[in-house]
Amino acid sequence: MLSIRNLNKKYGRFQAVSDLNLEIPEGEIFGFVGPNGAGKTTTMKIVCGLLRATSGEITLDGTDILQNIKGIKEKIGYMPDFFGVYDDLKVNEYLEFYASIYNIKGQERKRITNDLLELVDLVSKREAYVDSLSRGMKQRLCLARSLVHNPRLLVLDEPASGMDPRARFEMKEILKNLKGMGKTIIISSHILPELAELCTSIGIIDKGRMVISGSNAEIMQQVYNKKIVRIKVRDRLDDAVMILKEYPFVDKLLTGENTIQAGFGGGEEEMSRVLSDLISRGIPVVSFAPMDGNLEDVFMKVTKGDEEQ
Amino acid sequence: MNINPVFLKELKVRMRGWKAAGIIALYLLVLTAVAVFIIYTVFTDLYTSSIDPQVSIGAYTGLAVIQFILIMFIVPALTAGAISGEREKQTLDLVLCTRLRPISIITGKLIASTGQTLLLIIASFPLFSMVFLFGGISAKEIMQLFGFYIVTAVTIGSIGIFFSTHLKRTTASTVFTYGTLAFLAFGTIFIGVFYIRIFYNWDYQKFLPILYSNPLAGFGSLLAEQFGYYGGINAFLGLSAGSGQNSNAANAISPWLGNIIFDVVLSVVLLIMSAARINPVRKSLFDTVRIKRKIKNKD
Repeated sequence: MLSIRNLNKKYGRFQAVSDLNLEIPEGEIFGFVGPNGAGKTTTMKIVCGLLRATSGEITLDGTDILQNIKGIKEKIGYMPDFFGVYDDLKVNEYLEFYASIYNIKGQERKRITNDLLELVDLVSKREAYVDSLSRGMKQRLCLARSLVHNPRLLVLDEPASGMDPRARFEMKEILKNLKGMGKTIIISSHILPELAELCTSIGIIDKGRMVISGSNAEIMQQVYNKKIVRIKVRDRLDDAVMILKEYPFVDKLLTGENTIQAGFGGGEEEMSRVLSDLISRGIPVVSFAPMDGNLEDVFMKVTKGDEEQ
Repeated sequence: MNINPVFLKELKVRMRGWKAAGIIALYLLVLTAVAVFIIYTVFTDLYTSSIDPQVSIGAYTGLAVIQFILIMFIVPALTAGAISGEREKQTLDLVLCTRLRPISIITGKLIASTGQTLLLIIASFPLFSMVFLFGGISAKEIMQLFGFYIVTAVTIGSIGIFFSTHLKRTTASTVFTYGTLAFLAFGTIFIGVFYIRIFYNWDYQKFLPILYSNPLAGFGSLLAEQFGYYGGINAFLGLSAGSGQNSNAANAISPWLGNIIFDVVLSVVLLIMSAARINPVRKSLFDTVRIKRKIKNKD
């Protein structure tokens, strides 16, 4: 659906984005991760036609965004990290204003406004002034605004920033709903565990370069060159570790309270062989499952490398 | 028919609450006070209570001048923050990422702010119609004056929006807008006088075109022409048809008409430049050529 090839953006001498390549298929939720100033917002703004790329090519459904931005804007919904609201405008008027921009009229406009307010749980606030809403509510309203023209691609820049845990949870639930509706979403966030849970694929960007991208499992494989398997035993932890050490394709053993985290070089066949061996040798295995991995660890690992250079 | 959504939204926001009604009330109060004062003074000076066209000319001139001054002061205040205000409130990106073209955003803002001024002008109609009681002023002349007001308001609005798009802060934009107005109103006269005094060049035909940009000169010449005077500013400009000041006079256009043409051209240029400025993906001529070449090579 969205394809970014060799994207570059320079501000004077500063290279904000450097040869960035990305493919996001339809229906995917892509998590954009990176430290502050890494180039996430710049890339998102270029995709939404709010910044001009220095060079590169971005296509949405095969259409070049950089050359046909007006037609493309109908397909994209954007929620910036910082946004303002209009004074003296009520919640429903706010949404109706953006609906009118997309030439949505009369009853259709009212219906869409109601549906969106329901989606973001702001029906009770429809007659309230936007200025009077809490930050979390404003962010949900802004998300509703980005959906007013039913875009196929949603670009959400830090949608949960500055929210309290409850508001973050509510936002996550809305995003899960949108995922269910088949929207393709690019989302940036600093709350990595939430991204890992929500996203079907992740891209880590640092200093304008895409350091690594793919599904969670692919990233783990790329970073650690292995699958991470978490084994929980009822007891005999030390015996289990000894057995695991017998296999050359198992390493990076980390032990916790009745748990072992192990790196597996082999595939599913090797994993089932090890599991059978543990059970046949009397180890009381409670669970044996490949982990999605800890995105925070990966993030620290791949961005740390650059800092050391 | 599709009405500009930015215009509708602005209208809704601007007209909500007591502020808009308060501005209209205050505006009419000032104009009424001026009208009453002038009529009283003229009656007193003429020692008459009879109907005299002198009264209407006095009242009309007084009202016209005050209204013109008010427009010069109010329009910059309404437009200088149009875009910079959006930037400060962080709402500009939200509009720019929609399908709305930058020129629609700019014109929506301009129509909304000058529309508010137009409302003030229309609200003053009954006051102006008072002069009909005394005769001497025709409806055509009042319409001519109001037409001039609207063109001037749109031009000042365009200047305000131009600075609002080019400067980040509303304060700076407001200062530059008033500064530009001051230059057009007084700076151009100063340049003219300076030119004559320094170069002793009394052939003022060479420098006079600069006064076409002067709103005060245009306004003054309109009133003078309406009263049948071809002296004053028109004589100074030497361009009023029939003034007989010089050989060019018969073929030249009236200063107020010249001012209107200048205003229209200036407004169009400023609005196009403003729209280009807020377009985040605007292409330079070089880019357009490069893209065309790329497409050609692909074919």
